[in-house]
Amino acid sequence: MKVADEPRYLPLRSSRHLGRTMQKYYLLMRYQHLWGRPLKRPLAWVTSGAPVEILRALGIDVFYPENYGALCGARRAAVELCRAAEAAGYSQDLCSYARAGIGAVLRPDLAPAGGMPRPDLLVMCNNICGTVLKWYEALAGLFNVPLFTIDTPFIAADVEEHAVDYVRTQLRRLIDDLERFTGRRLRPAELERRVALSNQAVGLWCEIRDFCRHRPSPLNAPDLFVHMAPIVVLRGTAGAVGYYRRLRDEVATRVRAGLAAVPGEKHRLLWDNIAIWYRLYRFFRLFSERGACFVTDTYTGGWAAALAPGDPLESLARTYTTIFLNRPVEFRVRQMVELIRAYAVDGFVMHANRSCKPYSLVQEEIRRRVMNETGVPGLLVEADMADARVWAEEPVHNRVQAFLENLELRG
Amino acid sequence: MDLHYYLGVDIGSLTTKVVLLDEEGGLTARAVHRSGYRGGETARRLVEELRREQGLAPEQIIRTVATGYGRVTFPADREVSEITCQARGMAHLFPAARTVIDIGGQDSKVMRVLPGGRVADFAMNDKCAAGTGRFLEVMAQALEVPVEELGALAEGAGGRCAISSVCTVFAESEIISHLAQGTPREDIVAGVCAAVAARVASLAARVGVEPEIAFTGGVARNRGVVRALEAELGRALLVPAEPEITAALGAALIARTLS
Amino acid sequence: MNGSLYGAEPVAVLLAAVRGGRRPPADPQRRYFGYFCSYWPEELLLAAGLEPLRLLPPETAGTPACLPAFCCLPARACLAAAEAGELDALAGVGFAHSCDTVQCLTGIWPHRTRLFFVPPATPLAPGAEVYLRGELHRLWRQLAAAAGVQPEEEALRRAVALMNGVRLLAGRLDEMRPGLPSPLTAALLRAGQLMPRADYAAALEAALPLLADAADEPGGRRRLVLSGSLLESDGLYMMFEELGARVVADDTCTGYRHFAVTVDEGVEPLAGLAARCAARPPCPCRHPGPDRRADYLLDLAGRRGAQGVVLALRKYCDPHAWDAVAVGERLRRSGLPVLVLEMEAAAPGGQERTRLQAFLESL
Repeated sequence: MKVADEPRYLPLRSSRHLGRTMQKYYLLMRYQHLWGRPLKRPLAWVTSGAPVEILRALGIDVFYPENYGALCGARRAAVELCRAAEAAGYSQDLCSYARAGIGAVLRPDLAPAGGMPRPDLLVMCNNICGTVLKWYEALAGLFNVPLFTIDTPFIAADVEEHAVDYVRTQLRRLIDDLERFTGRRLRPAELERRVALSNQAVGLWCEIRDFCRHRPSPLNAPDLFVHMAPIVVLRGTAGAVGYYRRLRDEVATRVRAGLAAVPGEKHRLLWDNIAIWYRLYRFFRLFSERGACFVTDTYTGGWAAALAPGDPLESLARTYTTIFLNRPVEFRVRQMVELIRAYAVDGFVMHANRSCKPYSLVQEEIRRRVMNETGVPGLLVEADMADARVWAEEPVHNRVQAFLENLELRG
Repeated sequence: MDLHYYLGVDIGSLTTKVVLLDEEGGLTARAVHRSGYRGGETARRLVEELRREQGLAPEQIIRTVATGYGRVTFPADREVSEITCQARGMAHLFPAARTVIDIGGQDSKVMRVLPGGRVADFAMNDKCAAGTGRFLEVMAQALEVPVEELGALAEGAGGRCAISSVCTVFAESEIISHLAQGTPREDIVAGVCAAVAARVASLAARVGVEPEIAFTGGVARNRGVVRALEAELGRALLVPAEPEITAALGAALIARTLS
Repeated sequence: MNGSLYGAEPVAVLLAAVRGGRRPPADPQRRYFGYFCSYWPEELLLAAGLEPLRLLPPETAGTPACLPAFCCLPARACLAAAEAGELDALAGVGFAHSCDTVQCLTGIWPHRTRLFFVPPATPLAPGAEVYLRGELHRLWRQLAAAAGVQPEEEALRRAVALMNGVRLLAGRLDEMRPGLPSPLTAALLRAGQLMPRADYAAALEAALPLLADAADEPGGRRRLVLSGSLLESDGLYMMFEELGARVVADDTCTGYRHFAVTVDEGVEPLAGLAARCAARPPCPCRHPGPDRRADYLLDLAGRRGAQGVVLALRKYCDPHAWDAVAVGERLRRSGLPVLVLEMEAAAPGGQERTRLQAFLESL
């Protein structure tokens, strides 16, 4: 995946491999209708938290509009696409991934990377937010293709067994529906193989993230954000495993050699929320040029949950229902506190992302609680993940500067 | 026998406009004045002055329609939204117009009109200064240039500097940044005009743009914005000689249809 | 409409409840339990000996420290009221999951006693009904425990009967609405979400004959369907009337949609409640979505002879903003003019007036 700016700190060799991997992925997807059709492989658009192992096991290829939204943000193409969606009546207050995605459907001439390949079906899981349900309803209307839903009820307090049962029932029906759609039977061994592949990639990704506990950290947040793409779009494939094995090895080498992502690492920070894609390197440079490295984050860890052994449907149901965005504030505070402790973090920065209400509306509360519990300072920065029109350079720079000065004073 | 006249009163938040039409619908007189705190009062005074100037007895003005922000404060036979009045006025001046764009001091609107001036659909932005005359005023101030000269300045632009922010406050600081970097003022002005045009073109896309396209409102006097909007929409625009009074004209035309 | 109607006792009682409405009334005899969202099962509160009080934003919206600007006013204003102690007298607060904003509100709300209800977002999905019944059972147990009562089926049956009575009365009022001033009907329906339900039923029952007498034809008024999320005050309804229109069907969350569909009293109460959940008029927070809602609105418009539809959305309300596109398009294609009216507060100002007026002028 090509990004507009270059990192001003130690680049990973694997980044070139990432570029090639993502280019290949988008190329394959772009022409999927050509090679997929004779192989009877339908193309599904899926949400980032969908139980994709089932689709892979049934020979369905998957495309991720959210990842495409991030790409549009990074390539600075999202603004024009959002405008196109707004011209069709979509409110500018809606999620910018969704607006950019719909804009790309309405105006493929404005869509980067050859645009999005036309779906044969849509699969939506609302574990990440309620917006995807509405977005995918809109897509179902635009493309006139079937929409399959997996409703994972919000966990307001404790995980309720009847909720997991409900999700399991829906997964069972999803399999039946997809078998009918593809004309293929799901072989249990194949589903287990896909689950195992997901777990392998997840295990490697966890190792990679864990390496950042080392002082100095071998990686900075932009690395995590950029390299997380395969764990989303290639989930459940051998390709993802191969990819992360290679990355893991490179990061391990760095750790052994004591190589720092940010030379002279002075401050270890935690990042919360999705990246500011159109400012990825430039923004983090504000920190790295003062020796501050983002050693961990809450977002990329969202794909670091392993599927439990045992009955795959039970395991899929439980894992996909209990992702962090589907959990209450207490859980997310806990998660952040644990990361701060495990990674020896001195400060944290939260991106108040206009587009993502489930992530952002609780941030002020989480910030307060985390600061109280850990004594570590937190900064809130207002922006949007893909829509550059809401970016305000001066106010953000001011806040970041004040925060860094505070950190430096604390020593 | 005394002749009859029809009065249209447009009480905007910044300026008040009155238009007097004769029985044939010909334009007899018009006046524009800052509204001040009491637009209704200002309107009454303006109408009085106009009447005396034209030597008319009060009962000769047989029907009045009020429109604009302050329309409920003026005693008229009917108060009608500025959208309906603007569409009516512009359809009268440009019968071929099917899309009407109005950029005023504090709001911008786009109307799709049917032949005769009935409104088919409309979209408004009156909650945000971006894309309105206010945006231009703020930027003009930051550039230390009178608003009226923005158009002429834009003409001298060699390039165009991009202003990305949707928010007037942030756009202003973008401009200040550009000035500090030595970007020529002409280029910045061109960028400001382009920003307004982009915003308004987006608004227009929501109702669907159909040719011919007419452009009115105070900001239509700004050649820079006219050109930028023409570039955005890919067509020449029909612009009235007196854009401020077209809504009041529409109001007076409607007054003429009242029984 | 003669003033004596408003002064007549049952009507006055109902209107007083709406004016008082926001804070829990100082009433030593009753315990009020607040709730968000009309999917919250009021019967469970009644069966536990509590009075359901729909939490609506106060007139003067405060600014809570805890929510960013890109959040709807109802959420922000209610949280500010809670933080200011205005809701302290409540026995507790119930959150029915509707949208991402309410989801977040549940986590930052200051009350100690918070109960949650998460109905399925896809009520027609396999397993949804079983899940919903499980949710209701869980909530019922938790609520009874919190209220210090034994969970008894008989209490549930009585509550269902009471609420059905309320719904039928509200239905009769709604049938009359083309002949009554829009803000009056809106206020009378809102009262039913704020007053002790038994009191409401009694007052509304007494008021209906008086309203029937006072009702007349809408005459030359433009007849409109109003659909949207919540409207906590009558300002918009008043504006309709002032501009010479009338809301002949109200599909807002605080309007008739709250009361639509009764519970089947022939089945076990929680099963009946679950069935009602799934049978309610389409809501943007549930799927299947916009198509069903468009069908519903077309049908409503047909039955009441409406000339247009106004979709009133609150700024930053995502589900309604999404729907407005698809639903608006479907309605327009079917020949029904649509105005999408975005409002920040419930009280409309000059900006809303201009849009509504222009829309009416174009009909």
